[in-house]
Amino acid sequence: MPQHSPQRIARSLTRFGRPPPIKKPLKRNWRTRLPTPHVKIVGREFTPCRLEDHYHATLQEDAMYMTYIHESEPRPAPRQIRLTHDPANPYSRFRHNPPVGGSQLGKKPPPPDTPANVVRLEKIVIHSFMKQAIGGRSNLLGLIMAMRALSGETEKGAGRHAVSGVQIVHGKKSGAPMYDFLAQLVEFVLPRLKDFPGVILPPPAASDHSPSAVSGVVSLGLDPAAMAFFPQIEVNLDSYPRPYGMHVHFVTNATGVGAENRARALLSGFQLPFTRR
Amino acid sequence: MASISRLPCTTRRVPAARSLATVAKPSKPVLSTAVILNRAPILTPSPTVFERAFYAYQQRIRRALHNPFPSEFYFKQGSLLEARFNSEERYRERVAWGPGYVKEEVMSEERKAAEKAAIDQMALQDRSDDKLLPRVHPSDRVRDYQSLDRKGRRNLYLLIRDTGHKTPWEFPRGLAAQDELLHQSAQREFLAKCGNYMDTWIVTRKPIGMFKPRVPEQAPEKITFFFKAHIMAGQVRPADSMKDFMWLTKQEIQTRVTKEYWEGVKDMLSDH
Repeated sequence: MPQHSPQRIARSLTRFGRPPPIKKPLKRNWRTRLPTPHVKIVGREFTPCRLEDHYHATLQEDAMYMTYIHESEPRPAPRQIRLTHDPANPYSRFRHNPPVGGSQLGKKPPPPDTPANVVRLEKIVIHSFMKQAIGGRSNLLGLIMAMRALSGETEKGAGRHAVSGVQIVHGKKSGAPMYDFLAQLVEFVLPRLKDFPGVILPPPAASDHSPSAVSGVVSLGLDPAAMAFFPQIEVNLDSYPRPYGMHVHFVTNATGVGAENRARALLSGFQLPFTRR
Repeated sequence: MASISRLPCTTRRVPAARSLATVAKPSKPVLSTAVILNRAPILTPSPTVFERAFYAYQQRIRRALHNPFPSEFYFKQGSLLEARFNSEERYRERVAWGPGYVKEEVMSEERKAAEKAAIDQMALQDRSDDKLLPRVHPSDRVRDYQSLDRKGRRNLYLLIRDTGHKTPWEFPRGLAAQDELLHQSAQREFLAKCGNYMDTWIVTRKPIGMFKPRVPEQAPEKITFFFKAHIMAGQVRPADSMKDFMWLTKQEIQTRVTKEYWEGVKDMLSDH
């Protein structure tokens, strides 16, 4: 095996020599005593990402063609079927002025198709629930390490107290870590699962107006057995006290009627299998 | 980012025909369908000089601010693997921050030499003869435009030409039959022109674009609808009349088609 040198990308072009001498010492945080940089440091993409390139080169175009709904002219304004408060009236000016009959969230049509709102993956959220954590906090440690290995981050790693017990919630931001997780899932984990036909689609009779069908989020659950197939966990599986299952939510920018179907079309382009029961 | 004009929503306003008795009614337009067969990139794109500098800078920020790696969780204390990891990590730090930054470990000379010998031994054992394939395929060097392996970083599109009549290069096209849906006609004509020796997938039933060349007065309009398709396996084997085909990138297409055709199709092709 070759030595794991830093990527050629990082080495080429610029030689980072010695840092410039510090003439005026940086301000220090009074509590941690750590130096505070005088510019805002923002971490952005640090490496090219294979799946993201695939999205821009191929998938985005296909997704646009597949989900495009032709509208020959701009949409008419909504019908004013009930009286609403006059916004010029000082009484009602800053008051809540809801439409009659509720927001009709499940019946909202998707926004008009433009190049800017082609369906795209925004983030992947993985979370897991552990009953034993109610008895003892230390039971969480293995799960925290597993989530750290899977997501590559520890920020907001553990301990959000949800409806019942402790839930580990982690939001994976967009970009390389998100696509890395997706690639590991569809290339290492799902093909090796026993009896996994694909993510089960709802029956044809399912409502198109349910909250899940209009939200543009595709969710799936992974058995505890699946955790061992992630390569970063497979290398030292003995270090974890037990395997943990998890929920995975793929959040896309699709909204309106048919949003979940559009999200599924996108994810099947990343080779996530879907099937009917 | 897709451009607006690539959306198949361009509704061109047709000037209303004058309904005078003396003017002959224009005959029905001639409809044909064409398939833009795409070979998706098979290699990742090469980063530009700017991207390389950007990634290098961001990797340094990340190295400075990231969580420390929990090496005790992954390596047994004092194991050889840990020693190898530490030595590699020192090397990476030195590359990122310069030679003076990394502190040498306090260790006796013999121990250091022994560790180095062991690490070298491991490297010898792990060495494999696998070689990375070059990113430039031989077909690029010999300019084999019919190879599907050429230009691995780019989207390629199929252009064909009727060699008998020296027609200009165009996407495989055929006339739509009466009482036939456009996407069915596209599929049928495409297979007839390009042969059934490949796996293809036509992305949508909706056309992705339209091309209407200028025609002389009183002649029927000629309208071509384009459908996008992907090639998964196999290769084009054109029918006898259509002898010549090429796999080209967007820029190469521009130099081979007529100007009017290029203006009609350029927004349907990918810059990637």
